[in-house]
Amino acid sequence: MKESNVYVQDLSRGIIKENPVFRLLLGMCPVLGVTAFLINGLGMGLAATAVLIASNVVVASLKNFIPAQVRIPVFIVIIATFVTIIEMILQAFQPALYDALGVFVPLIVVNCMILGRAEAFASKKPILRSLVDGIGVGIGFTLALGILSLVREVLGQGTILGPEPENTIHLFGEAFEPMGLFAQPPGAFIALGLLLAITNIIFKKYNL
Amino acid sequence: MRDILKMSLTLTIIAALSAFLLTGVHNITEPVILARQEREYYEAIERFFPEVEDFQTKEIDSNQYDLIYDQDGEELGVMGTIETQGYDGAIRYNLAVDTEGVIQGIVIVSHTETPGIGDVIETDQFQEQFVGKGYDDSLEDGEDVDTVSGATLSTGAMLSSIRRTVNTIAEQFLGEEREYIDLTEIPDGVYEASVDGTHGILTVEVEVENGEIIRVDVPEHNETEAYFVDSYPEIPERIVEEQRVEVDTQTGATLSAERIVDAVKKALGDAVPEIEDDAEGNGGDNNNEGE
Repeated sequence: MKESNVYVQDLSRGIIKENPVFRLLLGMCPVLGVTAFLINGLGMGLAATAVLIASNVVVASLKNFIPAQVRIPVFIVIIATFVTIIEMILQAFQPALYDALGVFVPLIVVNCMILGRAEAFASKKPILRSLVDGIGVGIGFTLALGILSLVREVLGQGTILGPEPENTIHLFGEAFEPMGLFAQPPGAFIALGLLLAITNIIFKKYNL
Repeated sequence: MRDILKMSLTLTIIAALSAFLLTGVHNITEPVILARQEREYYEAIERFFPEVEDFQTKEIDSNQYDLIYDQDGEELGVMGTIETQGYDGAIRYNLAVDTEGVIQGIVIVSHTETPGIGDVIETDQFQEQFVGKGYDDSLEDGEDVDTVSGATLSTGAMLSSIRRTVNTIAEQFLGEEREYIDLTEIPDGVYEASVDGTHGILTVEVEVENGEIIRVDVPEHNETEAYFVDSYPEIPERIVEEQRVEVDTQTGATLSAERIVDAVKKALGDAVPEIEDDAEGNGGDNNNEGE
């Protein structure tokens, strides 16, 4: 019982208590940059999650071999390797998503959320717990990006599942004039601010 | 000493492992990526030229042009793969032009224009206005085709790039020859004309001597100075050097550059004693090339 409790905690911590976007405000650059469409937000979240899980596991399994003085460069090389792999795979098999995410995929390398988990968690904890932690933080990140991009796409475009025309669902009639601001970077800040306020109220109310 | 050895060794091993892994993934994904790009390009060709059987590639100004043939070796048209500067980064697109110099269609390959604004260049509404127009039409903004207000920079960049590409294709592949202003018919003198600029009028002075443009000046303008310096004196120099008005306006300030070109066109157009607009292609006196 005690054993499994640790894993449940590790998993939920990343989603709620230490949600990288809503609580820690880490890795804000892709959060603001790619959330104009739900698909892109979720794609970014999943790409970052894949890197996070892989780097957490590798860092945790190598932690006894890495000299403390060079741990940061080693972490960065490990993260960069997985990011580049993800980038090549996306380009080969998910070209539309690759085009939409653009420069934000290579920028996952310097996403402080991932380095932060490697440094603060994976380099100190066992492999399995690091794996669970990676999954938890990844879900938290993807969830936050999903919510933000859903809000921005609905308000800024009046659609969901865009921008590919064959999948796009138009929520409102022809006469609907979308609030273009929310499709733009300033709209990302505004939407994120509002979401932070709302989640803070919720977290406070339920004492999470 | 031991520490340093251990540290360097660890880093070396990690980096080497990373390199091996990346090489492996690269070898798997690269053929897929290349095959897809090629397939998308062939699909675009087949859409516009269904009878395509063969093609021949030529590179002009670092853009790729494919001359398309059917199974009898007859030319069907030209497919250009063009890269131009948009509002925010490069726009890559394919332009299909038939043997009459008429645009068959546009395919945006990649762009980074602003979502919700500049990405109208991807819409059918914007692209379809070009289809059926071509070398013999006036592909200027507000004439046969329009930019989209609110996205003037993105659509304007596409519009002028398409115009240049159609001219290039028609002249390089289809043997067309535009009746440009015949400089030899212009009497010596200084000519002046004005066009609307960013914040007011832009005036040019063109000096012609012995049928040659010897000087182009911009005595008056209200362009944004930071941009304007990219087009002046660059564009006047190109005009004098190439002895033609239709120079490439790709600079850091494409809009100002095009205004200079427009104004020079206007000045010289007014200077021609009698504007002859006779039937094209009768081979009368097309000597303006070989001078």
